[in-house]
Amino acid sequence: MNQTVSNSITVRWWYWARENLFNSWLNTILSIICIVIIYNAVWGIFSWAILNGIWEAKDRRECFAILGKDEAGNPIQGACWAGVREWFNNIIYGRYVKDEQWRVNLGISILIVWMIPLWVPNLKRKFLIGFGAIGLYPFLASYLFLGGERSWFVSFMVSLAIITFCYNTVDWLGVKAFRVSLADSLRWKMVNRIFAEKQHTFALMGLFAIIAVMLAFLIQDWILVDVSWVRMGGFHLTLVISGFAMTVGLPCGIILALGRRSRLPIIKAFAVTFIEVFRSVPLITILFMATAMFPLFMPEGFELNKLVQVIAAVCLFTSCYMAEIVRSGLQAIPKGQFEAASSIGLGYWQSMGLVVMPQALKFMIPNIVSSFIGIFKDTTLVYIVGMFDILAMTRAMGNDVPWRGEFHEPFLMTAIIFFVCCYTMSQYSQRLERKLSGENK
Amino acid sequence: MPFCLDNSMFNFIYNEKFRAVLFQALTFSLVAVGIFYLFTNTNENMNARDMKTGFDFLWITAGFDTDFHLIDYEAGDTYGRVYLVAILNTLLVAALAIVGTTIIGFFVGILRLSSNWLVAKVAAAYVEILRNTPLLLQIIYWYLLLLAFLPRPKQSFDFLYLDVFFLNNRGFYGPSPSFESGTTLFLAGIAIAIVAVVVLFRHARKVQDSTGRVMPKYSWGLAIVVVVPAVAYFIAGQPVGWEVPILKGFNLRGGWRVPPAFITLLIALAVYHSAYMAESVRAGILSVSKGQTEAALSIGLDRGLALRLVIIPQAMRAIVPTMISHWMNVVKNSSLAVAIGYSEITALFMQTSLNQSGYAIEIVALTMLFYGSVSLTISAVLNIYNKHVQLVER
Repeated sequence: MNQTVSNSITVRWWYWARENLFNSWLNTILSIICIVIIYNAVWGIFSWAILNGIWEAKDRRECFAILGKDEAGNPIQGACWAGVREWFNNIIYGRYVKDEQWRVNLGISILIVWMIPLWVPNLKRKFLIGFGAIGLYPFLASYLFLGGERSWFVSFMVSLAIITFCYNTVDWLGVKAFRVSLADSLRWKMVNRIFAEKQHTFALMGLFAIIAVMLAFLIQDWILVDVSWVRMGGFHLTLVISGFAMTVGLPCGIILALGRRSRLPIIKAFAVTFIEVFRSVPLITILFMATAMFPLFMPEGFELNKLVQVIAAVCLFTSCYMAEIVRSGLQAIPKGQFEAASSIGLGYWQSMGLVVMPQALKFMIPNIVSSFIGIFKDTTLVYIVGMFDILAMTRAMGNDVPWRGEFHEPFLMTAIIFFVCCYTMSQYSQRLERKLSGENK
Repeated sequence: MPFCLDNSMFNFIYNEKFRAVLFQALTFSLVAVGIFYLFTNTNENMNARDMKTGFDFLWITAGFDTDFHLIDYEAGDTYGRVYLVAILNTLLVAALAIVGTTIIGFFVGILRLSSNWLVAKVAAAYVEILRNTPLLLQIIYWYLLLLAFLPRPKQSFDFLYLDVFFLNNRGFYGPSPSFESGTTLFLAGIAIAIVAVVVLFRHARKVQDSTGRVMPKYSWGLAIVVVVPAVAYFIAGQPVGWEVPILKGFNLRGGWRVPPAFITLLIALAVYHSAYMAESVRAGILSVSKGQTEAALSIGLDRGLALRLVIIPQAMRAIVPTMISHWMNVVKNSSLAVAIGYSEITALFMQTSLNQSGYAIEIVALTMLFYGSVSLTISAVLNIYNKHVQLVER
């Protein structure tokens, strides 16, 4: 065969297809079936959603009118995106006050910026950034989302979160843009002159605390409008609940896992019972339990709002799942590490915190992420106990008078939102897993 | 250095045994105080709200009817019976979904490893789409889809054109058997056939092990299974009749019926979990080293036989534990039926019964007891299997 011909793309493509798709009778049949399926699915969705999609209409009837009928008299099928456009704000923000929605945007953007360094390769102190986000961000976010008067403690934590956030961001941007690390310069140029090396961390923490107190005084008059929790909803609520589940679930899970691996029989028994009881029942029963029984548990006159009940239930559930992940991570650490740590004189907490846990956590991250994906998806169950989350909003659109009966479009929309989030996370965790397994060899 | 190190009076603080006792005592008292606190609060609250406690309510009559039940039930039966109805409904849908999800999962899992690029990609897309969207969203979507497309009873969709199975917006209808005298003989025929097939398979295996001769055990087995019960059926004078659903008025009567919510739940659970099952099947097959495939092919087995006789049996060791945990998830996720109103344990017992009777703690405890015992049973089965596999493994 002529050299130029065999190298042309079409021919190479044809050879590839013959090798991979049509190399036997069975494969040929399977390939043809697949092509038919793909063609039907892709073309069907494309013509329904894009070609026949209606973007401007005031209600569903108008959509039908615009679409009209084909020659045989059957109505033409097409997506009525006008409804989704009208409801999009509700799907994302729920019934959050329109003028205050910038707070939600700001809160979510801060979180994203806070978490970016975790994805950026070759950065130091990723753990500190992660733990800072877990420990401090919730205070900032809750204040941003709920607003209202705040106590001095919340003021302090909010200021601390703002400072940590700025410090982290300036630090990693500096490293990436100018190869100058704020953290390193602080440490070596300023703190080093005044304090002995052992006190660096404490000195820095003290510095942060002092700046935070100052900032807290500065922003004393900055008070956001109170937005009731009832107004939280849509995708925002889903993010809030799953975010809380993660921030509370991971530390609690670590403690439970340590309890389960403890040599002290009573502690072990408590941990095992707790984990196994809540792991063996579905989340929805825990949610029902929370809404039916938590009010009974509280002292008289103390009212828990439903959002807190639901978050507590999801956290309870998450902690037990995290505990099992942490336990399996700890099991993967060879016993020699414990022995080495205790032989150099470290106590239980020191050897756990400084030697074993850092190694174990690294290998747990892929599992933690996939478990988080599970929690993120399971958060939709709060719809069943009457929260206005993204699924509730999706359903509500089909019950709204102008768009009554419309369900393909909003469900597709919600499914796409979930798919994008979950798929990104799962790809991240798979990449990390490959990287970690490569490092291990 | 801590100041009390030299003071022998305080040395016991550093004694490991003392510390163990101290920490456990602390934890124990903390938990005990916590439980006591919750208990007193609950007691006060219940007294304040005039709520009754105790399991006596299981013998109180429940005032509501349910759409679907496997054992006889009507409004006015006891809450105990409601519990039983709910458990059976849960087990039915979970068992069917487990069978469905295992079959689809194996199928898709093997397709994902296909050498055909297109097939592998389509299977991967199936898995990713299902795994990355919430199950509740899928269940509700299936439900709305089913309700939107199912016809009214008058235009029932005749399944396979047999005039026996019907599908409409009230559910799926099928014939129910009615037993007359002589059924025992027929059942005995079935039992004899099963025993005969077991004996035949054992014998065939023995023959193959000792002489290497392969008996046509499948065709013989099939013949026995068909012929023996058929002969018994005719000897007994055709004792089993079928009650076929017939359109009467606005509805189909006779036979059995499962509601649309049941069909939805079954489809949604089977499809959603099949994606996870496919992933564990794939991982299991990949965990078998490539040398095994090559060895099997080099001794002359074709691809199908190599898969069936060499790869799958070894892959099963890796697949079964994850598969069983997915089965457990199917049972747990059947609780999402509460969103579409299929009367399983969470919907019927934990929601309806709780709202009607108000015995919150007892009902929550009974529901958790059910799920707990199911998961304990399943993990016990898993342990037995693991032991079995380990014995085989030497």
